[in-house]
Amino acid sequence: MYGFVLRRVAQAIVAILGVTTLVFFVQRLTGDPTLLLLPETATQADVDAMRHTLGLDRPMIAQYASYLWDILHLDFGRSYTQFVPVGQLIIPRIPYTLALTGCALVIALGIGVPVGIVLALYRDHKATSVLMGIVIAAQSMPTFWSGILFMLIFAVTLEWLPASGAAGFESIILPSVALGLLSMATFARVTRMAVIDELSKHYVRTAKAKGISTFRLITHHLLRNASIPIITVAALEISNLLAGAVIVETVFAWPGLGLLTIQSIVSRDFMVVQSIVLIAAFITVFLSLFADLLYAAVDPRIRLETST
Amino acid sequence: MLATVLLASGCSGENAGNKNTDGEQRKEIITIDLVNEPSSLDPQMQWNPDSYYVYRNIYDNLLTRNSQNEIVGSVATDWKYLSDTEVEFTIRDDIVFHDGVRLTPSDVAYSVKRITNPEFGSPQLGQFSKILHAEVTGENTVKLTTDGPYPVLLPQLVKLSVVPRHYVEEIGKDQFNLQPMGSGPYRFVEWRRGVSVTLERNDEYWGAKGAFPMAIFRAVPDSSTRIADLRSGMADLVVSIDPDQAGQLTYAAGVQQLPVLTERIAYLRLNVERPPLSDVRLRQAIAHAIDKQLIIDALLGGVSQPANIMLSEFHFGWMEESDYLEYDPEKARRLIAESGAVGQQKIEFVISQVYDPRIIQAIQQMLTDVGLNVSINLLDMSTYLNVTRGEINERPDMSYGRWSCACQDADGVLYPLLHSTSQWSGTNDPVFDSLTEDGRRTLDAAERMQAYEKVHQRIAMNVPLVPLFQMAIIYGASDHLQWTPTPSEDMFLNKMSWSQYNNK
Repeated sequence: MYGFVLRRVAQAIVAILGVTTLVFFVQRLTGDPTLLLLPETATQADVDAMRHTLGLDRPMIAQYASYLWDILHLDFGRSYTQFVPVGQLIIPRIPYTLALTGCALVIALGIGVPVGIVLALYRDHKATSVLMGIVIAAQSMPTFWSGILFMLIFAVTLEWLPASGAAGFESIILPSVALGLLSMATFARVTRMAVIDELSKHYVRTAKAKGISTFRLITHHLLRNASIPIITVAALEISNLLAGAVIVETVFAWPGLGLLTIQSIVSRDFMVVQSIVLIAAFITVFLSLFADLLYAAVDPRIRLETST
Repeated sequence: MLATVLLASGCSGENAGNKNTDGEQRKEIITIDLVNEPSSLDPQMQWNPDSYYVYRNIYDNLLTRNSQNEIVGSVATDWKYLSDTEVEFTIRDDIVFHDGVRLTPSDVAYSVKRITNPEFGSPQLGQFSKILHAEVTGENTVKLTTDGPYPVLLPQLVKLSVVPRHYVEEIGKDQFNLQPMGSGPYRFVEWRRGVSVTLERNDEYWGAKGAFPMAIFRAVPDSSTRIADLRSGMADLVVSIDPDQAGQLTYAAGVQQLPVLTERIAYLRLNVERPPLSDVRLRQAIAHAIDKQLIIDALLGGVSQPANIMLSEFHFGWMEESDYLEYDPEKARRLIAESGAVGQQKIEFVISQVYDPRIIQAIQQMLTDVGLNVSINLLDMSTYLNVTRGEINERPDMSYGRWSCACQDADGVLYPLLHSTSQWSGTNDPVFDSLTEDGRRTLDAAERMQAYEKVHQRIAMNVPLVPLFQMAIIYGASDHLQWTPTPSEDMFLNKMSWSQYNNK
């Protein structure tokens, strides 16, 4: 177990370093932020002065070396556009993105899993294809469109919820529903497959023979066994939801990391983009490690030593 | 854990009290949707619209513009030229900063020195770099010295915010950005990163006091969302509405659109130094081929105006120009036919993603219709700026741009776009060089006007630039808001009021 974890952590560090290096150089190859920071009337002398202030006049390798040195000292640099340490921009945003993706995941699971169970149990019933159709239609709506639609219905017309911003619990409802819809159908499909798979197992027949109720059969027996693929997909879907959050946060002006990412990429705020990528790589790599560990917790038959 | 995060984000939520707390009679807070949050609230560090909208309410500037767009005093009550290079400003003695300390000439001199210090690294340095010295010359006077006669000094000083020397020196540059303090009609309360900036009214303000006890500026990047905010009552004023969406506001209840013409001119910049556009007939053909009014009516909601010269009526140097090249597609075809084979060469048309692609495509289609071979090259803004400012022979044949010097003076437009030493210029023409130098060499207005008249005529003849539109911007506002937007794109809270609510 410990050997497994150590190996995976080492792999994770290499992966994160690779991503960071790639982003560092690719960003700089695509252009320079200096001209975006200056007024149109800036002269070449102004441009040179600003490049010097930002340290962009140094050789790229030197910039990279000092960047790595600084991260080792937990110094992530300063934003070019907002003139503050990167941490001050990023840290306040993290809870917002976690809350949004968390709520979206709860909504996606909360609707997707029951729908998947219904689809499995009544798989021969014609009505289930209509249900699946509805779920897939919900997933197929692009967020920038469904988001605006929700706003027009629930904020402008009905005036039940705020259209945008982060002014309390009610503000998170529309963005998390818009985001959750993206993953709902995936969960429904995976749950359906897993439950169908389990339904043919002997323990189900035994349980039915004992006369337990369908509800108890599902909650106490089926779901526990069907949960492995659902956990795997959930770990992958969190990455998808984080990616989807970029659009949802922009549409709903939800002040999370996604919105900051877009703004920083557009303004070529290298330090901010690098730090966000570092965090995203960290989350993605460690979530998959966490999912592996969770398998063992859910299913004692899995022994991590033998699985590597 | 999720619950904790939710609770935290919920509890720290901005006051949703944008809705009336006490029926229709009272509305304490004005909520304004900007596109992004301010980059900086240190007025000498950044100058983009979203920063400017907010911090301009926290600080007073040395000079300002009145509703007729004339330069008038603000922190300075009066000024006189001691010589062509020296101006003495008389400073008001009744202004106090938000901490109660009086604003003195020393603060004014400090503000000038701070922004012109290259070590400080202000992006605005170029606008003030002609100022050599700032010195306190009396109890209420400050003298500024320029490195030569500089006719644009006063328009530039409209953009100079006066910062409190004692406070900035005490807390330092970084903290000043986080805890800004000035002498303006509103004082800083809170900056929730990525969410909003809150200001409250300065009841001791020396000038016109604000009507709203509190103002919240929110960052809402998507324009559809800003409109939804406005229509749902979440926001009272929203910026940057595109003309297509402005149509929605016409039929929506309780909201109004507030368009205003700005000093920003959209134009085409042509590279006259290399084929195919080194042939003046092709450049003239381009100017004749574009139906500006059609683009304005069809794509810009009819609110922008065709531009015949590179200036708006708000600029010094603007004049009714009769020599411009009118829309005449037949003449364009004739000129292209006369140019022969060169007229069939491909013209690279470089644009950035920030510009409305429909305008670009319309221009391309109009040029194709008269027989030119135009190919669009779409770049991101940073690459666009690098390409269009590169070596003159490597610059694109044609590029689209929008220009504003935010100084409302011909020098801020024509010098950078035409003088051969400027990176923006697409021409190496000694006549343009000497005319644009004449325009900035003297303080004599008549002499300057003469120089600029010749520049306008030469542009119409040589066509290094094709003026297209004087751009309008559209704000959306609640019906209850009374406000007249200005061409300078200011957003002074103390010049707004409610028409219905009790403002106390």
